[in-house]
Amino acid sequence: MKKTWSIAFVIILTLSLALTGCSSSKKNGASGGNDDGGGGTLIYARGGDSVKLDPATVTDGESFIATAQVTETLVDYDKESTKVVPGLAKSWEMSKDGKTYTFHLEKGVKFHDGTPFNADAVVYNFNRWFKSKDAKTFAYFKSQFSGFEGEKEAVIKEVKAIDDNTVQFTLNRPQAPFLKNLAMSPFAISSPAAIKKYGDKYIEHPVGTGPFVFKEWKRNDTITLEKNKDYWKKGLPKLDKVIIKVIKDNSARLNALVKGEVDLIDGVNPSEVDKVKSNSKLQLFERPPMNIGYLGFNVEKKPFNNKKVRQALSYAINKKEIVKNFYEGTAEPAKNPMPPTIAGYNDSIQDYDLDLDKAKKLLKEAGYPNGFKMDLWAMPVPRPYMPNGQKVAEAIQSDFAKIGVKAKIVTMEWATYLDKLQDGQAPMFMLGWTGDNGDADNFLYALLDKDSIGSNNYSRYKNEEVHKLLLQAQTETDEAKRNDIYKKVQEIIHDDAPWVPLAHSKPQLAGKSTIKGFFPHPTGTQSFADVTIE
Amino acid sequence: MAELATNTPPSSPEVTPENEKVISPWKEAWKTFRKNKIALFGLGIVVFFILLAIFADSIAPYEMNGQKLADKHLAPSSEHWFGTDDFGRDILTRVIYGARISLWVGFVSVSGSIIIGSLLGIVAGYYGRWIDGIISRIFDILLAFPSILLAIAVVAILGPSLQNALIAIAIINVPTFGRLIRSRVLSVKEEEYITAARAIGMSDMRILFHHVLPNSMAPIIVQGSLAIATAIIEAAALGFLGLGAQAPTPEWGKMLADSKDFLTDAPWTLFFPGLAIMLTVLGFNLIGDGLRDALDPRMKN
Repeated sequence: MKKTWSIAFVIILTLSLALTGCSSSKKNGASGGNDDGGGGTLIYARGGDSVKLDPATVTDGESFIATAQVTETLVDYDKESTKVVPGLAKSWEMSKDGKTYTFHLEKGVKFHDGTPFNADAVVYNFNRWFKSKDAKTFAYFKSQFSGFEGEKEAVIKEVKAIDDNTVQFTLNRPQAPFLKNLAMSPFAISSPAAIKKYGDKYIEHPVGTGPFVFKEWKRNDTITLEKNKDYWKKGLPKLDKVIIKVIKDNSARLNALVKGEVDLIDGVNPSEVDKVKSNSKLQLFERPPMNIGYLGFNVEKKPFNNKKVRQALSYAINKKEIVKNFYEGTAEPAKNPMPPTIAGYNDSIQDYDLDLDKAKKLLKEAGYPNGFKMDLWAMPVPRPYMPNGQKVAEAIQSDFAKIGVKAKIVTMEWATYLDKLQDGQAPMFMLGWTGDNGDADNFLYALLDKDSIGSNNYSRYKNEEVHKLLLQAQTETDEAKRNDIYKKVQEIIHDDAPWVPLAHSKPQLAGKSTIKGFFPHPTGTQSFADVTIE
Repeated sequence: MAELATNTPPSSPEVTPENEKVISPWKEAWKTFRKNKIALFGLGIVVFFILLAIFADSIAPYEMNGQKLADKHLAPSSEHWFGTDDFGRDILTRVIYGARISLWVGFVSVSGSIIIGSLLGIVAGYYGRWIDGIISRIFDILLAFPSILLAIAVVAILGPSLQNALIAIAIINVPTFGRLIRSRVLSVKEEEYITAARAIGMSDMRILFHHVLPNSMAPIIVQGSLAIATAIIEAAALGFLGLGAQAPTPEWGKMLADSKDFLTDAPWTLFFPGLAIMLTVLGFNLIGDGLRDALDPRMKN
């Protein structure tokens, strides 16, 4: 009963929030209008709010959109790709055995609170994660660097300051994507003074070295950022103010853009892309695809513990039509659990094409000649990799009905959905993943290795050979050899079919035509430092 | 009210004492109702939809959930009279099957609330005192919520499905019927024939179900037909919010919700289910008005 009343309460709250949302959007529209001279204000609207503003403690893309403006990483990605370029570290050296990295930091950089950025600050940040041994709080640290201080499988052994501007990382074993990992937003450097000052409240008061200073966070509404006048990169940022706003519904968000209430939005519905194209006051941005939307089977549950059942269902899905119909040209059908833009992609794999006879035959062999009944979980919110999960689920439901598998679509609130998936409660579910660093490890190891069961391996797929190969690939520094290992892994996964990979989408963003210098980064997170509005 | 105008002057002067005996009150009501053109029109609409619902399997040109993704959003044509939706499903077919669901929800939920409401209302009205106090306060509490909010709360507790939406709609209509019956019972029980029945020692049960209830039926029937209209709208509203029928059930409200993004691109996906809801609701409302005219004893001659 308690829970049900809390649901009723949430509904009432949502309704009142919707009302307050209406009033404040008017206010923002007015302030956005009078950007006279100067850099002006950019209002960016997205579908969900940040969870926390301390980048180290979150894993969701919506949080990083905000934190990437405030905090910066040692190394960074190139503006349009995942090539590693200097960030707060202007240069670095790797030892021959690949176990020691030495970073030379930018001099004279200051945090927003006036304290200096130096080697001690970097060491303080890493020790905060590294010595915490808290995989729940610092989830990304655990998944990218395999463990904490003193743990056998951990990548990092020690982080120490050589002098004021030099930091040295010692590793237990070489890690091929080490630099790419360091460039990820969760490993951005925060002000040690601020972390000590705010304690538990640091998640609401981020202080970094970035182009924008955090000003205010109204939960589920707006995050306000102001220009960092003392930014260490000369001439940047160009904008005076950035407001990151939540507008839940995709169509409503586009309408706000058309009406001029906001300047830039993400999550444009594929069906509304033409509306943007035909409006001369707007421009369309297409994020390069680095994601995967999939249908996952929980391989621990009957009947999906049987490989033949999983293969049968793979044969039953009319993938091409689904992708054509619900992505409307903004996606490619997928056959592997990682996108083709990433090195190591195995293009020689022959996908499970639509073949109902084969599907029925496999079901029969597996002992289900008349099919079975099963819940199909579908996400309640539009995601970049799947703009309309509910409808895709409905199409899959109809495909499955043709081979006698009766699926019931189950859905719930997004946070609950993820929680229950992580617990392994869903027998069959829709989900996806946007790559963080452009490395195959970030897809195959993060999503399908047995180490990731309980974090991101929602289908609880466990294959010792895959595990062995993936760990081998992590330490292999020869690019070609490493790619061969990943190709082999994809073959095994294809045959085991723990997922039906559905699509690699090209997420669509739209903005006013006066916006210059914006590029939607493949990782989903980009700095607004060199964006301007004319 | 307007119904006074449609009440035509006495048109059965040939009624003689002999055949007056055989005309039951129901027959008489039908005679009055029959003369009301607008009410007959409403009845026609409802009968039409009932026939659609019953014979859906043989009338519908396509399969209810026959997806053909390549046929997305075809405009109305000779092949698809009402066009197709974003799954390439024939909208005419789905509207026809939708009649089955909406009428089913309307009739069953209202029957449910009439049964429960009448029982509670009779008990409250006949026994009075503290029983009346408790039951009436429960009705007051239920009526204090806006009905759709109460329905949402009930569905939130039970979980979203068509069946639970039906239960929710039944619950929110209970107090309406309960109060109606209660007030009727309060006046009926003062009638002399009830006193007479008591005097000859009839049991409470017999008095309640053989004398009080039949004499309180008329307003219930009127209210019932109007309530079916509201119930259909509420079911559609819950379906629209994703709290009623679940995919791929072709419930009209759900069809509207599924197509709301295509208002400008494919308006037929919204127009036809919307029209179907409007017509059925209109039909039941017209019947309700006609019945009120026919059953109100004060308008009899």
